[in-house]
Amino acid sequence: MKISRLQRKEQKAFHGYSLTDFLAKVGLTIILGVFLFWWLFPVYWMISSAFKVDVSMFTLPPTWIFKPDLSNFRNLFATKGFSSYVVNSVIVALSSTTIAVILGSLAGYGLARGKIRGKNHIAFWMISTRMAPIVGMMLPLYILFGRFRLVGTLRALILAYTTFNLPFAVWLMRGFFLEIPRDVEEAALVDGCTKLQTFFHIALPLAKPGLVAMAALCFMFAWNDYAFAVIFTSGKTQTLPVACQRLMTEYGIVWGQVMTTGIILVAPVLFLGIVIRKYLVRGLTMGAIR
Amino acid sequence: MPILKNQQREECVGKYKRMKKIPTEFWMVLPALIVLVVITVFPFIYTVQLSFKHYPYIQVQSHIRRVEWVGLDNWIRMLTDPKVGRYWIVTLKYVLGALSCEIALGIAAALLLNRIRIFQDLLTTLSLSPMFFAPVLVGLLGRYMLHDSYGVYSYFAHQLGLFENISIFGDGRTALLALIALDIWEWTPLVTIIVLAGLKSLPREPFEAVSIDGANAWQRLWYLTLPMLKPVLLVALIIRTMDILRYFVKFLITTRGGPADATKIVAIAVYDQAFQAWRMGYAATLTLSMLIVTIVLGIVFVRFFAGMGQE
Repeated sequence: MKISRLQRKEQKAFHGYSLTDFLAKVGLTIILGVFLFWWLFPVYWMISSAFKVDVSMFTLPPTWIFKPDLSNFRNLFATKGFSSYVVNSVIVALSSTTIAVILGSLAGYGLARGKIRGKNHIAFWMISTRMAPIVGMMLPLYILFGRFRLVGTLRALILAYTTFNLPFAVWLMRGFFLEIPRDVEEAALVDGCTKLQTFFHIALPLAKPGLVAMAALCFMFAWNDYAFAVIFTSGKTQTLPVACQRLMTEYGIVWGQVMTTGIILVAPVLFLGIVIRKYLVRGLTMGAIR
Repeated sequence: MPILKNQQREECVGKYKRMKKIPTEFWMVLPALIVLVVITVFPFIYTVQLSFKHYPYIQVQSHIRRVEWVGLDNWIRMLTDPKVGRYWIVTLKYVLGALSCEIALGIAAALLLNRIRIFQDLLTTLSLSPMFFAPVLVGLLGRYMLHDSYGVYSYFAHQLGLFENISIFGDGRTALLALIALDIWEWTPLVTIIVLAGLKSLPREPFEAVSIDGANAWQRLWYLTLPMLKPVLLVALIIRTMDILRYFVKFLITTRGGPADATKIVAIAVYDQAFQAWRMGYAATLTLSMLIVTIVLGIVFVRFFAGMGQE
């Protein structure tokens, strides 16, 4: 006695929800709740620890209700050099993003529209460079940058981030440009625009949402990086992730400040992520899913 | 003389015309191409030649002693060292453990999120937050929350009678599990949104057809939804595999490969050889073995793309 969905719908219309339906719904909601708790509890714990005084951070069972305290933030910014680490992070992330945006959108357009022999091979080769393991890049770059006396400078870091941001940008922009209908651009060309004018005035504005999403993701990759930063920076040129980790070793473990740094690290990226959330899947799967 | 001049001029004009034939698009691609060749191809070639060298690098820059060509020594050492095999086994355990859970949980969460009607957008966005955590932060948060004396998760576990007398990152049996758990926490949301995007793009008709035929929810999931999601799941799988192999920062922050190499994945082994022991030549060899694996994965990825239909 199988009842089809349609029949069941009719039944529902007559009798309201059945008990099993109700139970299934409750069960599924509970499971979803567990998922959300699992994902968000550490976030909550990080934020709450940042606003706790040190003593109440370590008391177990955990104190759920506490008076928010800003001393961690105050101490952190009073630490010598901390604000300059923030500045370093911003400089490095913004510069590598800028390079990726400029070179990436130019090359992406060229590879999407140009009559270049083997352009798809070039595109595939470019994206494959992004798949190289980070340690694999760290090793030769460390020695080569050492030769040019770049180790310990922010320039080294910007170049290092370009190794993964530029291929990403080219590949993603190529995809976005391929989606724009050709007709508009062709009309502009017929009207006497040069190819560069067409690119700047027609194609780029049309691909703008994609460009913004790509830029945000590039910023995120650079901002969050620790591996390159830990070997290419020292002392004054540290970026935020490195500073965050150093808080652990130099003064014992100042967890309150670590968590506070954590908030400063996560907040901007989370904001960017929410802004571009429609393009998130596409960006993070390198365009495979839209 | 004037004839020669004319000839020269024609040559110049010819050159100019050939220059003009090169499309503008080529000049647009060129800068990125040059930059990428300089910062990726050149280092790659350098790594290859490094793998045939003995290259002890002293921490003080440019103070290098006794660099010598050693032929295949590094390669032979890598292939005969039983430790390297163990690093790969740990890597494999880590990748398989994390991937299988991420895919399973990701599908489950996506199916649940796809069912709810209200707040779907809000809840999806909220559930994404772990993805935005810097790896360094995930590692630190893991250490903080799993700490044996003040970690809140350890406290919960102790209440349940689990892990009572061990330090989670300090014990060979639990350290790798904890690292897998961190990765699952961080990256399941990515799988979830990939699957969710896939679910939204599925056609409706087959589902209506089978529900008229009387298929129950499980049958629909098993025989219809999952097979139709296959390409999407494949993308999630490839992307995650490559990223798991690429990143190693969580290991660096939490265990550094310890205790007793229990969590020493290949990437950490490379890092140790390069930036702790400063044996750059051998590290380069290990790196290349990793690169071979990634290249194979990369080929799979590119094939997949090519199969999707080239524009």
